[in-house]
Amino acid sequence: MVTGASDRDALWRARELALAGLMGALGLLLPIGFHALGWGGRVFLPMHLPVVVAGFLVSPGMAVALGIVVPFLSSVLTGMPPLAPPVAPLMAVELAAKAGAASVLYRGLRLPMWVVLPGALFIDWAVLALAAWLAAGVFAIKAGAIQYVAAAIAISLPGTILQVVAVPLTVLAIERRVPRLRPRKQDWTG
Amino acid sequence: MPHHIDLYVKRESALHRLDPRPKMLAAVGFIAAVLLAPIHPPWPMGALLLLLISTAAVARLPARLVCRRMLSLAVVIGMPFLLSRLGGEATRAAGEQFAARSLLVAAAFVVLMASTRADVLLAVAARLPLVSVFGQLGEFILRGADVLAEEVIRTNRAWALRAPSAALRVRLTGLTQASMSLIARAAARSERIGAAMVLRGFQYTLPMARPAPLPWSHLAAGLAFALLSLGIAGAAKWR
Repeated sequence: MVTGASDRDALWRARELALAGLMGALGLLLPIGFHALGWGGRVFLPMHLPVVVAGFLVSPGMAVALGIVVPFLSSVLTGMPPLAPPVAPLMAVELAAKAGAASVLYRGLRLPMWVVLPGALFIDWAVLALAAWLAAGVFAIKAGAIQYVAAAIAISLPGTILQVVAVPLTVLAIERRVPRLRPRKQDWTG
Repeated sequence: MPHHIDLYVKRESALHRLDPRPKMLAAVGFIAAVLLAPIHPPWPMGALLLLLISTAAVARLPARLVCRRMLSLAVVIGMPFLLSRLGGEATRAAGEQFAARSLLVAAAFVVLMASTRADVLLAVAARLPLVSVFGQLGEFILRGADVLAEEVIRTNRAWALRAPSAALRVRLTGLTQASMSLIARAAARSERIGAAMVLRGFQYTLPMARPAPLPWSHLAAGLAFALLSLGIAGAAKWR
């Protein structure tokens, strides 16, 4: 039975870990489903969907951890995205930035969803450009980071539209089903 | 317990029996060697490839399986390489470096993951000081993926039995509804799992089994592989 503040905190942590784990599991399964239907992962960004949804529902630290873990785990379990060339590390940076930004803006600053999602997307692209520039240096690739990001945004336009439509609907549906997951004051400290 | 999503290939081999910790050490050494070794002259990359092929042979991994898994990377490695051939000398050299290094690192991961169960690797990662949070979350995701994969399989079977010849539009509507329902149910399920974890004594970290002692012979094997890889790269770089 939950009695004190410490127990309540542990319960909050446990629920958050469980929720992040299940959203991460969806982050592994959705790309498999999309690939089975023949829809490209780079076009529809199926891994991004549950991770960004989780960003709206868990604390920033957990959202960043989930964003880092999911691409690496998917790479280890399914072989995609590949670790070399460094697609998985770039995706990890991208997802961590996007989910972390969504969590900070939505749960921390309590901004409305229509501000949070574009904000998270812009932060994601800026961080992706920085990561691509660093990776190009490490792997001695002489392509421009800006060109890489521009190409990535152009290719994944259908996926971005899918996120803009599906993420708010999913978050609202989940919050209606589990009201406890709506943003609260202690999310900053959590 | 086997997982629904895993690249592990069950075989009776020395590499499969090897403790995962020295295997990770060997993989880190090999990747460092690949990144350090020059691609001209080509002998260090050739020697590293030979080392990897010998390891795959020791693991008794079918060549067809390794090639098939490498083939899935053909686009991500092949396209930039082919595009680099259109550029100047520096671009062509960068393309060659990219392709050679990517192929060897990817092949090393194929061999590592085919000979080591993912949950065992995650259990090792959960004990490492800096990445323990990621390891624990990864273990949780793996369990969650098993649970959700079971649900997907059940839904798919029910769908195939009840509407085997439904139109694509109906199927897509069903798929969307099922996906939304799966996400909403996952959120509701996390409430129950969280409560169960606290009742079983969860205090910010997941309970971990005590690590098995690491045999010296296993550690020596992993260390020897890493040093041999680094030796090849070092010999080529500072010759």
